[in-house]
Amino acid sequence: MITRRELIGTASLFALAPRFAFAQGANAAATAVEAAKKYAGTEISIVWEAGLQSLDPLNFSGPKWEELTGIKVNVVEVPTDQMFTKIMQDYRSGAAAYDALNVIPSWMPDLVKAGAMEPLDAFVDQYGYRDELQDIAAAYRDNQMKVDEKIYGFPDDGDVMLLYYRKDIFEDPAMQEEFKAKHGYDLAPPTDWTQFAQIGQFITDKMAPTTYGAGFFRSAPYNHYMFQERFRMEGGKFFDAGSMACTVNSEVGQKVFEMMLAENKFMPPGVEQWNFVDNLANFLQGLTAMTISWPPYGRWAAGYGSGEEALNWVPKTQVAGKVGYALTPLGRPELGVGFALGVSSTSKNKEAAYLFIQWLNSKETSLQRVMLPYTLRDPFRTSHYESAEYRALWPDAPAYLDTIKTSGEKGLLDLSLLQQDKYDTAMVQAITNLWATGDAKASIDALAAEFDAITQKVGVDKQKEIYSAWAAKPGAYPA
Amino acid sequence: MTARYNRLSTLIDRNFGRIAAAPAIAVLLAVSLFPLIYTIVVSFQNLTMLDSDTSFQGFMHYRAALFDTRLWAALGHTTLILVIALPLEIILGYVLARLFLEQLPGRQVFVALLVLPTVLSPIVAGATWRLMFDVRFGPVGQIVSWLVGEPVTMLWTVNPTLVYPAILICEVWQWTPFMFLLLLAALSNVDQGQLEAAELDGASGWRVFSKIILPAIRPVLVIAILIRGLDIFRIFDVIWVLTEGGPGTMTETLSIFTYQIGFVQFDTSYTAAISIMVVLALTIALTWALRRVEALK
Repeated sequence: MITRRELIGTASLFALAPRFAFAQGANAAATAVEAAKKYAGTEISIVWEAGLQSLDPLNFSGPKWEELTGIKVNVVEVPTDQMFTKIMQDYRSGAAAYDALNVIPSWMPDLVKAGAMEPLDAFVDQYGYRDELQDIAAAYRDNQMKVDEKIYGFPDDGDVMLLYYRKDIFEDPAMQEEFKAKHGYDLAPPTDWTQFAQIGQFITDKMAPTTYGAGFFRSAPYNHYMFQERFRMEGGKFFDAGSMACTVNSEVGQKVFEMMLAENKFMPPGVEQWNFVDNLANFLQGLTAMTISWPPYGRWAAGYGSGEEALNWVPKTQVAGKVGYALTPLGRPELGVGFALGVSSTSKNKEAAYLFIQWLNSKETSLQRVMLPYTLRDPFRTSHYESAEYRALWPDAPAYLDTIKTSGEKGLLDLSLLQQDKYDTAMVQAITNLWATGDAKASIDALAAEFDAITQKVGVDKQKEIYSAWAAKPGAYPA
Repeated sequence: MTARYNRLSTLIDRNFGRIAAAPAIAVLLAVSLFPLIYTIVVSFQNLTMLDSDTSFQGFMHYRAALFDTRLWAALGHTTLILVIALPLEIILGYVLARLFLEQLPGRQVFVALLVLPTVLSPIVAGATWRLMFDVRFGPVGQIVSWLVGEPVTMLWTVNPTLVYPAILICEVWQWTPFMFLLLLAALSNVDQGQLEAAELDGASGWRVFSKIILPAIRPVLVIAILIRGLDIFRIFDVIWVLTEGGPGTMTETLSIFTYQIGFVQFDTSYTAAISIMVVLALTIALTWALRRVEALK
């Protein structure tokens, strides 16, 4: 039987539990700061994606870290598509120019196999960070943190594709009535790609050239993420697991290419040339009624951060309050890129570099960072999704965070093999070739041949092992 | 002692030229010969992103290069640009130079303005033309639409029939002024007496050009062709900004291909083998061209 003393003790523990949790949450940041003070007066370099992303360490986290610890942070800005190259060049040359790294998770196996990244487990245990890592959403924590069961990076960006749609158009009674009469179902965010095409065409027919049904980024370097998602959701497999022969040129692959090609016809003229910024600008200006992209679109469409000088390049939103958020058609969105923080194996100041990334990635600091209006870091922790502060940033922020959370939970992993950048380049080239030639079969066949050539060059057995491990992950293929 | 000193002194006197040039030669060897030898060595190894295999691999990469269809396609694209852009630059440069031979009012100002594209960085030129060709905001499409009288969608960097014209327009726009400047200088030195005599004799325009002007400007023209030819052969920046070698690999030149496999995919030894093959091919072509020039003299 429980005694009065035990009851009071247990009740006290329950009452204090949130405080303990808070103290523990604050500890990862505070522990890193305390431990790093011994390196005051030194400097560490960190590789960061050039542009808006790097405003975080340049304007916020870098100066803050220096203020707290006395360690200066030198931010080396590198365009996304050159980050892998620069990190490898630094490692190969032995220049040791970088201490901390931002890496795209699908490239981590390559960087680890090459020896460019430092395993972090010992530091994680030494500085008590393991518990806080559990707060990172499972999609990122389980898939973007480890290589061969060792921690090499802290997932630090909740990249995932969301469907954005114009609520004002979708909820217009006249549009709804006419659409239902024509297609026999309600005008609502599409749940498959056939619906997407029908809705897109319908809106274009009704509203172009003022507003077109949809627009995507169709040019290099990001166009392949949507292909990866759609191909798998339609039932496609990248390789035959036994022989490692490429199977993208199956009927599914060809069908996806044909559908993508057909969709361009109801999108604005020239959509084939659109990049991330073109697509953003056109959506914010109301030229497109649907688009699929990363989470920053949602913040900027709502006008969050519109007064920031750093966001002057973003066209003023014409659609604030009119944008809805939904899962992409077929419901399993591509996680698409992401970033993980790591430590360079050639760094001469690994511990200081580690402490900096622990502090950056901690619950406390990362919440502030994902709420910075001018950066591109997206919520990636459960505590971010649930943050009352974040949910109050604009009227639709709760719906936005809930959609990001669900999308992350259902997210499909980017293909991640040895020399993944070669496979990515091949996909980008195949898609641009598709736009140029209009020949889905030839383009997908060329992609398969290129995949096979890359696999042969890397080594079939080596690649098979990596592919099997990747394909076994829950987010690799839809169940 | 004195005899020894005298011998040393004589030796130095005799070889003073060699001794004085030795430091410069050493520097040249260090910065040019060493990388060349190192590249040759690497081309026989197997250095990739994942392997640092320095064992001798024979001609493996050279053989692979010979059967690499993408490499041959890249060579074809480079050659295509070379054989169209270079003659266009020469012809347009010559026509402009002839126009500006006359002492027109404001000639100096116009010459300075004409030369502006050449002083731009090719990256800036490419970025500028990318904006010019933009399907929504670019003036090129708008002008064409205005001329045609209806909206025209021209996907300059996507449509296979437009992508090479786009590259060539940018290339020719930027480098014709270079040809113009050299040819203007060369034409200024053509013997006016001979031209007047030919005119009095009633020689045709072609005869005057082929018998008087061309021989006079040939030395400058040959050098200009060599400089621009080599430049176009290693064309990178403009295409990188305009198309990144796309759509697909349709505009991938040798330089872009080499960059991709060397610095993006880190096939270091294969890249070294290709570089050596290109250097060899260029050396042979250049030697042949220079001999032809010598023979013409």
